[in-house]
Amino acid sequence: MAYRRPPTKAQLRRQRMEALVNYPLDWLEERSGLVGGVRYFLFRKVPGDVNWMQTLGSAALTAFIVQAVTGVILAMYYKPTPNEAYRSIQNITDHVTLGWLVRGMHRWGASVFIILMFLHMGRVFLFGAYKYPRELNWIVGVLILVLGMMEGFTGYLLPWDQTAYWATVVGINLNGTAPFLGPFIAQFLRAGQEIGADTLTRFYSLHMMLIPGGIIALIGLHLYLVVRLGVTSPPWSKEAAGMALADEEPQPLRPGLTRPVPRGIAAARPEAGGSK
Amino acid sequence: MAAAPQRHAGVKPSRLEEARAQFARYKEDVKERGKPFYPYAMFHDTVMSLVVVSVIVGLAAIWKWTSYGPHHDGTHQGLLGPEYTAPADPGTTSFVPRPDWYFYFLFYLLRIFKWPESVFLGTVGVPTICLILLFALPFIDVRRERRLLHRPVAVVAAALTILSMAVLTWKGATAKEALASEVIADVPNWVKAEKLPQNAVPGARLFATAGCTACHTYLGTGSSNLGAPDLTQIGTRNLGIDFQIRHLKCPSCVVPGSPMPKFESLGEERLRQLAIFLEASKGKQ
Repeated sequence: MAYRRPPTKAQLRRQRMEALVNYPLDWLEERSGLVGGVRYFLFRKVPGDVNWMQTLGSAALTAFIVQAVTGVILAMYYKPTPNEAYRSIQNITDHVTLGWLVRGMHRWGASVFIILMFLHMGRVFLFGAYKYPRELNWIVGVLILVLGMMEGFTGYLLPWDQTAYWATVVGINLNGTAPFLGPFIAQFLRAGQEIGADTLTRFYSLHMMLIPGGIIALIGLHLYLVVRLGVTSPPWSKEAAGMALADEEPQPLRPGLTRPVPRGIAAARPEAGGSK
Repeated sequence: MAAAPQRHAGVKPSRLEEARAQFARYKEDVKERGKPFYPYAMFHDTVMSLVVVSVIVGLAAIWKWTSYGPHHDGTHQGLLGPEYTAPADPGTTSFVPRPDWYFYFLFYLLRIFKWPESVFLGTVGVPTICLILLFALPFIDVRRERRLLHRPVAVVAAALTILSMAVLTWKGATAKEALASEVIADVPNWVKAEKLPQNAVPGARLFATAGCTACHTYLGTGSSNLGAPDLTQIGTRNLGIDFQIRHLKCPSCVVPGSPMPKFESLGEERLRQLAIFLEASKGKQ
């Protein structure tokens, strides 16, 4: 065995420092596996030719986070009663420090969130990314979109101004025209015969607890499926990851697969093509 | 690596087998030739997120600074609309109902169907069918093909969907609104054209100011945003004053499925005036 020089003082100090820094992470990892999970999330492989269009999903997530943060701040100042709601909105808009910014971001963040969800959906459609094995994730995405629209509907009433009130009167009446279920839906949304204090608190509760809770859970499931199934590469991709169909000419078989390997890849990686 | 099972001669792999094989190939290819999410894809995501937050802050700022009026409040009509309108008042019905812009396409659908018999097709029928189709998309389109040029049906369907939603949103956004201040000027013309009796005039003025024309039209005045019926000759149906009052108080109680709001808050006296006016409206004389 070769002689090993004992570590110098500087090396020892460095080792101790590293242990000190790593200790909390190791502690957490040993008890939860979270560090490994985050590492897996960050360093998982995505196709080499991912496209800028594929940032629309995370952009929509960002818009949702903006909604969540500004919503929490608004809830600190907003009072969901017919007598106070309008005044508290005026107060937030005109008097609270940067209140106009928080409310404006929430108001317009909603539109941006909806637009980004539609754009993201369009991208997934154009890429054919809803196809096997990602069908379930498409359904989860559509559910998030529906819940997002419901957030728009319930949030619209909260300022309790004329726009809010009359749009909601009509909106609830339109729901009420549904066959069989309509009257029950309308009754449930109104929380009574007329739109009033109970409607406002009901919409407030739906808007800031039930629906966002559902959206957060579904976003979690959505992301889990993205990580598990991987990111789709663009349909025009030249790599096997994105190749929709193999070339027509007969190709050498790749081990374990029933489809021939595309020509370009078989040539680039001879070990992948043909049987060994 | 395990020995390669040879393809069975003559047996075509099923669609699911092909899809599984393709996915396995995808997984392997990404593993071998892909790049790590951090930092590559995450860089793009971060840039995009910063753009999103900047756009939201920008919209908030434009909203604030263009709607802050001379009365030091946010009711001024700015580039992006007022920050708030007058406080909600169930008593004044003269307000034009308008949803947020991303509901315009639903809102405009209402005009396509007749009230009240088939209005539910516009309110819930068509949207529900579209939603079911949206959910079912991955099970309708089961081909593995992803290249656009090889998916003509999907491309045409997408183009038609985008086009119709854009048109409906645009139509909803530009739909004519009826302002009470303009409608009231037409009341003398109504009296002349329909030869309304003197006792119907207060009702006519009420009709012009109480918000009826936000949804109904009368001799071409008013807005048909929501597709509600034209009331120019509602009196020819001889529904009776009592029916009209009951209907105004609670439309859905009398005509099941009617989305019209209740106007009970106007009070017995004014409801009677409105009913007299409606019954006297026999069309152009």
